[in-house]
Amino acid sequence: MEILRNMWRRKFRTFLTVVGIAVGIFAFTVMGSMALKLNKMIDGGKKYITGQISVMPKGTDFATGQMSGMLPIDTLNKIAKVEGVEAVEGSVSLALDEPNPDEPISVSMGQASTIYSLDTNSSFKNKNWETMAMKEGKLIDKDSADNDISVGSTVALDKGWKVGDKVKTRGKEFNVVGILDKTMTGPDSYVFMKLPVAREMYINSNPFLKSLKDRSAEAANISDAELQKLSEETRNQILQAKAFKVEDVSTMASVSWKNDSDPEEVVSRIKAQYKDEVVVLSPKLMGEQIDKASATMNAIIYGAAMLALIVGVFSITNTMVMSISERTKEIGIKKAIGASGRSISLEYTLEAGIISLVGGLLGMGIGAAAIIIINSKMASKGAEIFLLNTTFLVEVVIFSFVIGIMAGIIPAARAAKMKVVEAIREL
Amino acid sequence: MNKIIIEATGLKKSYKMSKTNTVKALNGVNLVVNEGDFSAIVGPSGCGKSTLMHILGLLDRPDEGQITIDGVDVSKLKDKIAYKLRAQKIGFIFQGFNLIPTLSALENVVLAGKYGGLKLQARKKRAIELLELVGLKDRVNHKPNELSGGQQQRVAIARALVNNPTVILADEPTGELDSKTSLEIIEMLKKLNEKNNQTFLIVTHNTEVADACKKKIHLKDGKNA
Repeated sequence: MEILRNMWRRKFRTFLTVVGIAVGIFAFTVMGSMALKLNKMIDGGKKYITGQISVMPKGTDFATGQMSGMLPIDTLNKIAKVEGVEAVEGSVSLALDEPNPDEPISVSMGQASTIYSLDTNSSFKNKNWETMAMKEGKLIDKDSADNDISVGSTVALDKGWKVGDKVKTRGKEFNVVGILDKTMTGPDSYVFMKLPVAREMYINSNPFLKSLKDRSAEAANISDAELQKLSEETRNQILQAKAFKVEDVSTMASVSWKNDSDPEEVVSRIKAQYKDEVVVLSPKLMGEQIDKASATMNAIIYGAAMLALIVGVFSITNTMVMSISERTKEIGIKKAIGASGRSISLEYTLEAGIISLVGGLLGMGIGAAAIIIINSKMASKGAEIFLLNTTFLVEVVIFSFVIGIMAGIIPAARAAKMKVVEAIREL
Repeated sequence: MNKIIIEATGLKKSYKMSKTNTVKALNGVNLVVNEGDFSAIVGPSGCGKSTLMHILGLLDRPDEGQITIDGVDVSKLKDKIAYKLRAQKIGFIFQGFNLIPTLSALENVVLAGKYGGLKLQARKKRAIELLELVGLKDRVNHKPNELSGGQQQRVAIARALVNNPTVILADEPTGELDSKTSLEIIEMLKKLNEKNNQTFLIVTHNTEVADACKKKIHLKDGKNA
């Protein structure tokens, strides 16, 4: 009670100090919740990517995201025979919506909705993500119709799709047969459809591949006899066109390893045999890259928040130094009537802690309210930016108390060491 | 023969005011305070009265000399232990009352009880008894700025008594009071001395206060006069 009364003696100064801490804790709460959300997404992605060996087309540019979209099926079949490989599944992914020619580049906070193919005939299973939990309906399988789709929770929210709906995307009609549970990671933004259908859409979205396919279809109608009548150059072009297979179109292939195999050794074997044809991504290396990126991101986010907090801490220390200076006489009286240095030190340290705690509660409260408001606005698109976690909020408040204590230690120690006679001379 | 409460021999204390200027506040003071004494330390301004009071109250240490309080040599007592002795054996009454401004009369007395090691209920009970004794039953919840000078000094007296100290040191207890209130306060202290055999050592330059005391210890230029 005395501590609260002492805080109230200099209301404006206490108010300013509390606000200083509140601002720092507000930043920490908001940035921390953003980091929590990002970390959850990254964890999900890491779990996925380290549960398989990813094979990309040769010439994939990871910096720009450019890829040829061609992973020859023959190469994938050969990879399937490499020692230790359990299964290989080619896949295709492309944006759900056709780009708007008037706005080819759009910026959004969440991940763009993506068509993701599933080869329902493949025995491939990601080691860390064998099944997808469904909120409603089912995940497309072998028995599903070609135009059946299963939809991620964010896409369903954003588009307003429900199980049983007939929907249209990229000029084709589909039946929604399932909506996935919220995962807070990539699959929330996916639309799963059968591989051949996704391939078709991918080819149709890429003018070069489309022209290849069209020319291949035309070339198939030219007989060998007719071919011989053509010039060598034209014959070669037609032979090339004939060689094109729709099954060669894949943006990525996923490789699983046998249970008794070491995935890194399997990666080495695939690289040794096919490094001139494909790019192989090792689960361990991918995991490390993700960890590095995550650590950097967390450092930036938390670092920014910590800066704001440090300013608040100095503010408390300054307040306590001034407070103790003003209350030198009081400290002298207390020591004269029997207070130990320890009890004086404890009193002022606690006062600093409580000032910081009040600021922490205020900052956390406003931060949590801001998060709830922003998330509720983004929820309709399923693109929440923050993860509101009660444990984290409690930890933030406790942290604010702890930093207050730390800020008060030095001024409190000075008060404790004050010579009684010198303090009394102020009387 | 009454028990010796305080015995001081050859007390010396100097203060360094600057590199070249050292002030000898005490230059070999001897003193004996017996149980039940109601004594005054008198002398002209600057004779070392307050310095002597600070040393006897363990607020400062002598450069030379020896002091015992209740038979315990406290000449070289470290601060870490001195506070306990101050809390339990010594009560202070200051010229400027020096109550904690944010605490009520009751809370000021209870605080001293806390430092003396009394449990919460015990120190609250004792504080109320003492405030009644000094005639402030109806003012227990008033803050110092709601009390007159005399009332504040009475709270200070109650605070000094809360731990049943061996000795009460009063430094100019009537210094900021008018003559009527001064007399009231001195009468109160006298009553406590007579009724409870409470030992008092009072620093004063007020002749009336000095005359009210049974014994006088004269100081001049830092020495016994």
